[in-house]
Parts: sequence; structure tokens; C-alpha cells
Amino acid sequence: MPSANPMTRYPTVLKPYGRALVELATAREEVLCLSGDLTRQCEIDLFQGAFPSRFIHAGMAEANMIGLAGALARRGHMPFVHTFGVFATRRPLDQIVNAIAYPNLPVRLIGFMPGLSSPGGPSHQAIEDVALMRAIPNMTVVDVADATEIGQAVPAIADVPGPVYLRLKRGEIPLLFGQTHRFSLDRAQILREGGAAAIVTNGMIVASALAAADIMSTHGLAVAVVNAPVVKPIDRRTVAAVARTVGAVVTAENHSIVGGLGSAVAEVLAEEGVGVRLRRLGIQDTFAEGARRAPFLFKKYGLGVQDIIDAVWSLAGPSTPPPIAPVPESERGEYAPV
Amino acid sequence: MPDLAEISALADRIRLRALRMVEPLQFGYLGQALSAAELYASVYGGPLRPAHDDVVVSPGHYIVCAYAAAAELGMLDAAGLDTYGQDDSEFEAIGTDRSQGVSLSCGSLGQGLTGAAGFALSNRLRGKTDARTFAFLSDGEMEEGQVWEAAMFAAHWRLTNLVAVLDANDSQVDGPVSSITTVEPLPEKWRAFGWDVYEVDGHNVGAIATALDQAIASDRPAIVIGRTSTRHGLDAILPDDADGHFIKLPPAMALAAHEELEARLA
Repeated sequence: MPSANPMTRYPTVLKPYGRALVELATAREEVLCLSGDLTRQCEIDLFQGAFPSRFIHAGMAEANMIGLAGALARRGHMPFVHTFGVFATRRPLDQIVNAIAYPNLPVRLIGFMPGLSSPGGPSHQAIEDVALMRAIPNMTVVDVADATEIGQAVPAIADVPGPVYLRLKRGEIPLLFGQTHRFSLDRAQILREGGAAAIVTNGMIVASALAAADIMSTHGLAVAVVNAPVVKPIDRRTVAAVARTVGAVVTAENHSIVGGLGSAVAEVLAEEGVGVRLRRLGIQDTFAEGARRAPFLFKKYGLGVQDIIDAVWSLAGPSTPPPIAPVPESERGEYAPV
Repeated sequence: MPDLAEISALADRIRLRALRMVEPLQFGYLGQALSAAELYASVYGGPLRPAHDDVVVSPGHYIVCAYAAAAELGMLDAAGLDTYGQDDSEFEAIGTDRSQGVSLSCGSLGQGLTGAAGFALSNRLRGKTDARTFAFLSDGEMEEGQVWEAAMFAAHWRLTNLVAVLDANDSQVDGPVSSITTVEPLPEKWRAFGWDVYEVDGHNVGAIATALDQAIASDRPAIVIGRTSTRHGLDAILPDDADGHFIKLPPAMALAAHEELEARLA
């Protein structure tokens, strides 16, 4: 369970995905690693060094890379396909549907630099990748929050019988969860209890949601935080159960508010007959922009700690003004919520 | 060298069987069978070893050829083929993952060569040096960029056991390929992409057999480009402007086609 200190600075870990894949490949010789010309950026220089004969440069040709992975999976290999989220999903969408998802093949698509974590502008910002993947039958969709979750998710997705899309930040990854944390493909986790409202979140927004909840808690508003790393299939039971105990639900995701976690939660609330107010925080059905630093973009596009506080407070708080989140200064090697 | 007269007869039997499948629907993918009959007959009746080799039908609309060839050679239970294209049939008119007798077929065009390269790569990784992958392609799908991604990949990895067979029938939905987008010169393009290229009259079974032998012996990925017509074998019966992609086949025309093919096979 993460610290209760608001605006905690979390230690970071380098390349947890790359290390987890090497560990999995050490135990499972059927693992193959495909790279779309982003090897170091996807942390799989580690795999390439450890298992050069199982590393395949597919080059800057994503459509072909997806089809190769499908054919290799048909033959009993376990292909992990690596590129940035935009190039893993929006570019080869038809190939994903026809060569992987429809035949329900165990291919793992790993999309790096989700949402606004890339300051590279709309071409590099995967803001609808979850929506695209969630709409495809047979696909499992996972968005992980920290190094612990990454380390557990990699072996967990290895044995999913069908395709999996895993989106994650690259490089320096915060360590939010302790060793007792258990990533589950079936269950969301309640990270904070609270009866006034619930924040349902995942991925890079978990740290910000925790900070927001902790700040509101010190101002008398008890806010639950639910981490739902598996967007599809969403844990309906936990989402509905928590929603029934609170006065409002806020979803917060590093993604468009259309089609992602917020939409998945909205579907659960409506179908389960949970009559509770919902607000979806995320990229508000717009394209973002190129910038120098990602934290600037998270603030500009409404995904900062303050934005979460404001949304929860307006739905479930008293009429007094919402508390103001302190501005953290993150030092090198540390990760602070935006 | 296989018995060429037998291969020619097999090609006409493929045409006749495709005609029987398409006929009840009164329209369908018969033009593909007419243009590619000798190419399929030459692979199925020639070097293909079903227990060792993979067949990929990249344009799923050609699955009728693979069904017909496999049925003629007893590789497929022909009894179900009379349901081809009908409601609830396991023999869908456009190839899918349920299509029997092939390793892969793609209804979304331009993807089959990639799958074939994946099979060939898997064979390489597993040390199966004897296994071959035959990929049937068509010229219309040369307009899809993925074909060339796969061509570069296969040449870079020197997937020598990959043999592509291209039905260059100059036909796509909107009309002749040459009138829509210039994909030629195909031999030079494939050569430039690092492939060995064998260009033949795609209705000449002797030329195809020689080309397949050379393509298999090649130390690179190799392609046999067969120049064909979507009316071949029924030129006298089908109108000059018959739609090669999705042919209309009223009962009188189907009957005349039957008589023509059966007479030739008699």
C-alpha cells in the first residue's frame, strides 16, 4: 500500500519491463521478442543482449510486424511485439484485427509512451489506443502503474490464451506499490477506502489519484481510490461494489475520455443500475500537442492532482473551495505526481 | 517434372469445381479460379507436400481455388463444398480462419506474404530446413504497402524456403489493375527487393513447373509471376467485359460453361 503522505515522491526503477521480459524468457524458451525500430526505447536492448537468436528486428514496418507475430504465435512461439503505443495500435489496426485478434492468437502487443507521457505531439501520443484495443473481440487490455505492477504483469499476461495489449511508460518507472501488492488479471484493487467519492484510475494517473485522495482526506473528505489496471475485461464486481458505497465516481485516465477506462466504468455503472454521478477525467476528446516536458501536458490537459481534487470536490465535497495541491519538485531519479 | 497433361487436366477440374461452387450463388469469385487454375494445379499437383509445407492464400477471395484443388486431390472432404458461400456454411466464400486445407488465408488483402514469412521464419528458428512455404498472391494486392514490407523482410532474412506465386491477372474490383494504379514492372520490383523472379505465362503448365523448380532451388525467397486472364478456359462463353473480380453467372451461362469444361475433360 503506497504511503499516505500526500505528494509523496516515489523512488524510481530503470527498465523494469525490459528486465521482467528477460526473466520471463529465461524461464520460457518460446518467448520471442519483436522490435519495430525502437529497441532501446522499449527496454528490449536487454532481451537482445541476453537472447540474440530470439530477438527479431522487424524494422519500421508495423503492419508486417503484427502479421509476423500472428504467424509465429500460430506455430507455438510466444511473440512479444514492441513499439510505441501509437505505432502498436492505430497504425496496424486492421492487421491486429485480422492477423491476431480474430484468430485469437497469444500475441502480446506492448505499447510504450502512453497518452501524454510523450511530449512528442499527436503523432507520438497514444490517446485512443485503449479505446481501439478495447473494441476488438478477444483482446485483453492492461495499463500498468508502477515497476512492481510491470514486473508482475509480464508473467501474468504470458499465459492469457488470446491477445493482450499492454501499455506502459518507458525508462524511469516509479515504485508505488510494496512487495505485498498483487497484480491480478481479474480483480481491481481498492488502494484507499472512503465513502464520499471514489476515484477509479490506472497507469500513470494512480500516483496523482492517491495524492489527490490523501489531500482531500486531510481536509475531511474520505475518497476511495480503485486501481483498475485491466481495462478489459473490467472488474465489474469491484467497480460496482465501490460505486454503490459512495456519492460520486470520478475516473482518471491517461487517455481520451472516449472509449477507455472512463467509458468502461460508465458502462458498468449504467448496466449495474448504480445511480451515482460520474465524471470522466482524461483527454477531453481533443488532440494534445508537442511540448518539452510531459508534466506540462498532464497539467494543461486536465490530468494533474489539482484537476482530480477539483472534480471530486465539485461532485462530493462541501461548498467550501477545494484544497490546493502543493506543487512537487521532482528530482532526478524520483517520480512525483503531476 | 510432373505429368503436364495431368496438371492441365487438374487445372480444368479446378475450374469445373469452382464453377459448381459459384453457380448456385449466380455470382462470385469464379474469375480468380479461371486465372489461377494452372498456378494452383501446378503447386498442388507438383511440389506441394501437405504434411511438410504451408499454403497461404493471401487474397481470401481465391480460397475457391484452394478448396477446389484440395478436393480434387483428396486432401479435403469435398462433400461440404456444395454449401460454399451459403448461410451457415463452414466454407465461407472469402477465406477466414475456418478455411480448411490452408495454413492461412486473409480476406483483408496484402497480408498473406507477411504470414508466409512468419511461417518461414518459424521453420528457420526451429531448424526445419526441409519445410517450404507457398504463398499465393495476386497483382491487385501489390497496391498494399504491407506486401513490400514483407518482401523486404523476407529478403533481409533470406527466407530461401519461401516461394510466392503471383496471379498477375490485371484484375481488381474497379477494373484492370493497370488502369487503377501502375504496379508494373513487377519482375523488376521484386528483383529490386532482393527476390529471385521467374515470370511465366500463367496458363502454361510446363513453364510454371520449370519456374517452380527453380524457385524452390533458389537461395533467396523467390516469386513465380504468372501472367493470366480471368476468362481463361471459358473465353468463348464469358462476355469480353466479364467482371474478373466478381463474375455474374446466370444459369444459361453456367450451363454453357459446364458443357465446355466437361467436354475438355472428357
